[in-house]
Amino acid sequence: MAVEDGHSAGGDHAAGSGFPPFDQVDTFLSQLFWLALTFGFLYFMLARVILPKIAATLAERDAAVATSLAAAAAANEAAETAVKAFDTRLLEARAAARETAAAGKADVDGFVAAEMARVEGEMAKRLDAAEARIQRARAEAMAGVAGVAEGATTAIVEKLVGVKVTAAASRDAVRAVLSGGA
Amino acid sequence: MNIATDPMHQFLVTRLFDFRIGGFDLSFTNSAAFMLAGVLGVTGFFLWAFSSPRTVPNRAQSIGEMWYGFVRGIIRDVNGDAGMAFFPLVFTLFSFILAANMIGMIPWFFTSTSHIAVTGALALFTIGLVVVVGLIRNGFGFFRIFVPSGVPAVLLLIVVPIEILSFLSRPISLGMRLFANMLGGHVALKVFAGFVPQLAAGLGATGMVMGGVLVMPLIIGVTALEFLVAFLQAYVFAMLTCVYLNDALHAGHH
Repeated sequence: MAVEDGHSAGGDHAAGSGFPPFDQVDTFLSQLFWLALTFGFLYFMLARVILPKIAATLAERDAAVATSLAAAAAANEAAETAVKAFDTRLLEARAAARETAAAGKADVDGFVAAEMARVEGEMAKRLDAAEARIQRARAEAMAGVAGVAEGATTAIVEKLVGVKVTAAASRDAVRAVLSGGA
Repeated sequence: MNIATDPMHQFLVTRLFDFRIGGFDLSFTNSAAFMLAGVLGVTGFFLWAFSSPRTVPNRAQSIGEMWYGFVRGIIRDVNGDAGMAFFPLVFTLFSFILAANMIGMIPWFFTSTSHIAVTGALALFTIGLVVVVGLIRNGFGFFRIFVPSGVPAVLLLIVVPIEILSFLSRPISLGMRLFANMLGGHVALKVFAGFVPQLAAGLGATGMVMGGVLVMPLIIGVTALEFLVAFLQAYVFAMLTCVYLNDALHAGHH
């Protein structure tokens, strides 16, 4: 198997079969030896140093992504909670506003009703007073009419009949006519 | 045939310096040099790319992570999580073969995987590992992989020898596939490339034009194809390793 002479292995083969790939007899041991050495070295470096490093890097990234996703989910949840709280407060505020408006309206309605009642009462009072005044005026007027009628009666009777009637008689006569004849 | 046009010259194993242990010739050859270059290249790349790994990777780190994810994907698809114990090994096989194949695509560089000694050793190692792991995991139950379930007893007389034969042919096909692909591709490239100077020498100016117009595009195409093959063979080797490891892991389910 060992090449005894000093020629290169390749030189021998070039002179030999002319098909080096099948001329393995005195190179295959060296190929196997260096294959084992280099392959073993590569395996050692990959398995012990490189692949764990890559795995750690990928795990770190996965963890970072997971953390970020969790943070994003938490933020999202917080935002949703805030939106919900906002909605609730909005509803509450609307209800309060409606209540205030209703209370205000009731106030105003009460005021308006009271004012109306007051004004109406005053009007009625004035109306009554005016009516009383009219009544009085009418009574005065009627009294005036009676006085004029008494005088006229006395005068007419005196002229026509020539009898002087007393003031009391003419007043009675006028009264009897006013209360009966009218 | 001179060196320039001899398609086989590129496969010569030449000794760079002597190295012997107990009468065995373990000389450092060009094959060893390029295996070493590939291994150092892969190791150096990963050490550089992950010298200060970041959460948001740079380009080199991205490539390294894609590489990692690609091999992990193969194992996950074929073996599930049970296969992750063999991840470093499959990763090493894939990276070693990929590096050797890709280095071989550079002109004047030697393709270590174009020699049956290397590919055959890798294949035998892989199948040997499958047998050892299978025996450790399943004991003699491992041999159930030769007895497909649901086959009538009479047919087993025929099927079992076929299964054994197919199992024994695995290391041969595994090693031979890689070896033949690399050898054949490089020979084809060299032969096609040899047409150009041969045409030029034979037909003068006309030959030069013919070589440039007809042959060069072909060579470019074949070169691209060879890059694809270089990657694909590394992938196929890694994937078949996983498929065979599956037998070792799940010998009962056949």
